[in-house]
Amino acid sequence: MKAVILAANLSIRLSPFIETRCKPMIRIAGHYILENSIFFLKEAGIHDIVLVVNHQQDMVRQYFGSGQTFGVNLEYVVQEKLEGIGHALSLCRSSLEKKPFLLVYGDVMTDYNPFLSILQTYSETDREVALVTLPESSKEFGNVYLDHEMKISRLVEKPQANQSNYVFAGMFVLFPKIFELLAEKQNDVSRCYEQMVESNKLQACLWEKGWIDMIHPWHILDANKMIMSSWQTAEIDSTVKLLGHVHIEGAVRIGPGVTIESGTVLKGPCYIGSNSYVGNNSLIRNFSAIGPDSIVGYGSELKNCVLFGNNDVGRLSFVGDSVFGENVKSGSGLTTVNHTVDYGQIACKAKLDLVETGLTKLGAFIGDSVSIGARHTLGPGSIVESKKIIADFITL
Amino acid sequence: MCGISGIVHSENVGRNLFNSIRNLEYRGYDSCGMAMLSKGEFDIRKNIGGIDEVNAIEQLDKMNGMIGIAHTRWATHGGVTQANAHPHLSYKREFVIVHNGIFSNYQELREQLMDQDVVFESLTDTEVFVNLLEASYSESNDLEKAFLAALKKIEGSYSIVMLSAHDPEHLYCVKKGSPLLLGLGEGCNYVGSDLNAFLEYTRQAIVLDDGEYVVLGRDDYQIRNVQTGEVTEKSVLHIDWDVETSKKGGYSHYMLKEIFDEPQAILQALKIPSEQISVLARMFTEASRAYFMGVGTTFYVANISQYYFSTLAGQYYASVSSDEFSIVTVEPGDLVLALSQSGETFDTKISLEYAKISGAQTAAIVNVMGSAISMMVDNVIMQGSGPEICVVSTKAALAQTFIMLRVALELGMMKGCLTQDVYQKHQEDLELFPELVQQILNEQSGFVRNIARDTSHVEHWLFLGCDIYYPVAMESALKMKEVTYQHAEGMPAGFLKHGTLSMVEKALHSLFFVPPMGQKVLHDRTLIAMEQVKARGGTVIGIIFQGDERALAACDQVVELPEMNLLCAPLAQMIMAQMFAYYAALDLGRNIDKPRNLAKSVTVG
Repeated sequence: MKAVILAANLSIRLSPFIETRCKPMIRIAGHYILENSIFFLKEAGIHDIVLVVNHQQDMVRQYFGSGQTFGVNLEYVVQEKLEGIGHALSLCRSSLEKKPFLLVYGDVMTDYNPFLSILQTYSETDREVALVTLPESSKEFGNVYLDHEMKISRLVEKPQANQSNYVFAGMFVLFPKIFELLAEKQNDVSRCYEQMVESNKLQACLWEKGWIDMIHPWHILDANKMIMSSWQTAEIDSTVKLLGHVHIEGAVRIGPGVTIESGTVLKGPCYIGSNSYVGNNSLIRNFSAIGPDSIVGYGSELKNCVLFGNNDVGRLSFVGDSVFGENVKSGSGLTTVNHTVDYGQIACKAKLDLVETGLTKLGAFIGDSVSIGARHTLGPGSIVESKKIIADFITL
Repeated sequence: MCGISGIVHSENVGRNLFNSIRNLEYRGYDSCGMAMLSKGEFDIRKNIGGIDEVNAIEQLDKMNGMIGIAHTRWATHGGVTQANAHPHLSYKREFVIVHNGIFSNYQELREQLMDQDVVFESLTDTEVFVNLLEASYSESNDLEKAFLAALKKIEGSYSIVMLSAHDPEHLYCVKKGSPLLLGLGEGCNYVGSDLNAFLEYTRQAIVLDDGEYVVLGRDDYQIRNVQTGEVTEKSVLHIDWDVETSKKGGYSHYMLKEIFDEPQAILQALKIPSEQISVLARMFTEASRAYFMGVGTTFYVANISQYYFSTLAGQYYASVSSDEFSIVTVEPGDLVLALSQSGETFDTKISLEYAKISGAQTAAIVNVMGSAISMMVDNVIMQGSGPEICVVSTKAALAQTFIMLRVALELGMMKGCLTQDVYQKHQEDLELFPELVQQILNEQSGFVRNIARDTSHVEHWLFLGCDIYYPVAMESALKMKEVTYQHAEGMPAGFLKHGTLSMVEKALHSLFFVPPMGQKVLHDRTLIAMEQVKARGGTVIGIIFQGDERALAACDQVVELPEMNLLCAPLAQMIMAQMFAYYAALDLGRNIDKPRNLAKSVTVG
């Protein structure tokens, strides 16, 4: 069976990260989202993958190439105009029209392998299958009604306030006749699903493990936490240099070539990517992911944060409940304030509007290649656009 | 409690026999094993653990032979050890048996056999029988005669399947007190503790009665009476259960699957002919006194039923837990109505026997066909909910409650407590209930999941309700305990101020079963209790009905159900609580379908 991963879309709500990368190239717990999907597909025995790309596609091509180093064959299909999922899928017709295939939305993340489940349901029922799950809020997704045989009996795009159903989880086993249906429904994929449901053909496969759709920047933190929570063991590369007394507890993962200075405490689960450096007396707390080639200066504290890679965190900084894009450099004494004094809910000024996050702890979201001078304090929920340069905070 | 099965075929049946006990695993799962006869040699493999665990060690599914027997065990006599696991071989290695039940006089027989230099490998009562058989055979050299001779020496309740090297073409089976059914295939025949043993292979079945034995070949079978030796003609049943409903489908647990099966279970309960419901209702009118009896979940079903009977038929009947039934002085003319999913529940069986001996009329609502209770009572209603595999009962309990509601309505009508119009309106609403349940299951799943996610860390719960919602709270608390291993205490909401209120603080969570606002007095009573908890800083979760602003204000989190018939409302709340227990257990990583220390049907005292 072949799989198609939709990785072309530009989703502005994920600003400030989406301007400089496509969603599947967001690095979570040390791996890109797309890397995770490819790994799970390979584990489920699927080696031929069609990638639909457009926005920031060079980054994808550069990292994954032909897929050889990841043990799969990748075929790239470019969606020149971003005209939705149905359109993206219709472009893959020549690659997929002979046999049933897996459709994977490129922006969802799971902690365990969902493809094994969906393929099992497909093989048992010999029907088209949709993975369905129960998210914390079903408002953003297509809601489904299940009958007693776990076939989908109804779809509701915009659910009412008093209902919270299972939703499409962005993974399907589809038959090639979908392409005719797409042509008939002007590439409107929702109408195709509706048609399949009406003809009583779409089987559901329940996914009860972790599942996150990346819509807002704080979902990166949720996904990071979900992945790290599934870690059972510590993995420390043999080339890691622990200089003097370094205290390590829990599921800590450290890549090759990392140096950690004396007095530092690592409380897992946390991740430090290859060739990074952590200065003396730092505290790396749970759910911190430090991307490769990064530097964390002396006496800094990190907690529940994602650093994409090639980051500098200046000495005596605090980074909590925050996401730093690639190449973000900050001077000494940076503080990300992660709650209001009254622990109220934090709103986030995204690209378009002020969005209520519903969270009482949230730090800052800093786009790729931002430079922040020394001694800055970033308020809860602040967003810094990519490539911005903020001068040192100097009092004299 | 055990599951036994056997197959006689013209082809290799190792894999099928393995699947067969796997389908019976819910009957007990502390150890299992298989014996196959091939070229005059026995291959016996057994070990402790669940079926898949044992298979990983013993490779049961790779065994070869055209005839074999298998067993999955829930220990009654002797500890859980490899030696005590079935099948059991005789000391001269000529006979092998699997057995479900208890031989009550085995100690005495064991001593007699030991005097004859028989060496025992295990502590089980089963091994006594297999050696008794061997001793009998050495006297007669006739297998059937030896089988009967051994049977005449043992006492107790049992079902047995025996295989011997002296007759590699037949299985010898007997039923007395424990269930046993035959499955008839083409060129092959099956025997098993229940239909799940062979439903995958055939839908033609024969239910054996107590005191019957069978010599089962691949193309032939003969059923005879153990005492008289007379041949018995039995009718062949066609089983119309869908095999798929016995399997998990795409659900990760049977429990959730069975919750989603509930609309179907109610539909089946609605299909029970009204004449059958009337016959049962009439038994109440004729009885001088009547009792409801059940244990565990079915006891709570009995308690909920009390309220239905009292409201609809103006009659209070006591519900008694089967294990405490000895408190009741049963007299001729009384009626005892038993509730049991499996129809094998030990305490219920014993109490029914006591009721029968005392001259009472007996009736039962049971899910498993051919089970002991279904066969011993004067009148049985088969609820037809389909197999329930998860140890924790959901759909079967709900369907039983629904059937009791139908009986109460019928009795109310007979006694003139209900007008034709009211009766008709209720009947119409009951007809619509399956669809409503389907809607609730779909639309509320997400809310229930979220509350469970937020509260799965909570170790102590109070489940509270008034009137009929009190036994609903009790049953729901039991579900919670069974599947999450967290402490949940069900009690009447009115009880709080008489003591329990002293426990209330933020960490103590309360789940309130709030009646529809239409039941004003009841609603007020519940809300007063809820507000008492809230005022003392307790955390309150409510299962409420839409538009209930007062409850909404008093609760920290709610599940809101749509408006519905007042008789159906407690059932809908019960379903929500089942779902809540399921999701809480999921977050806690519990062994949902087989919670620790529990077996599907408790057939031991």
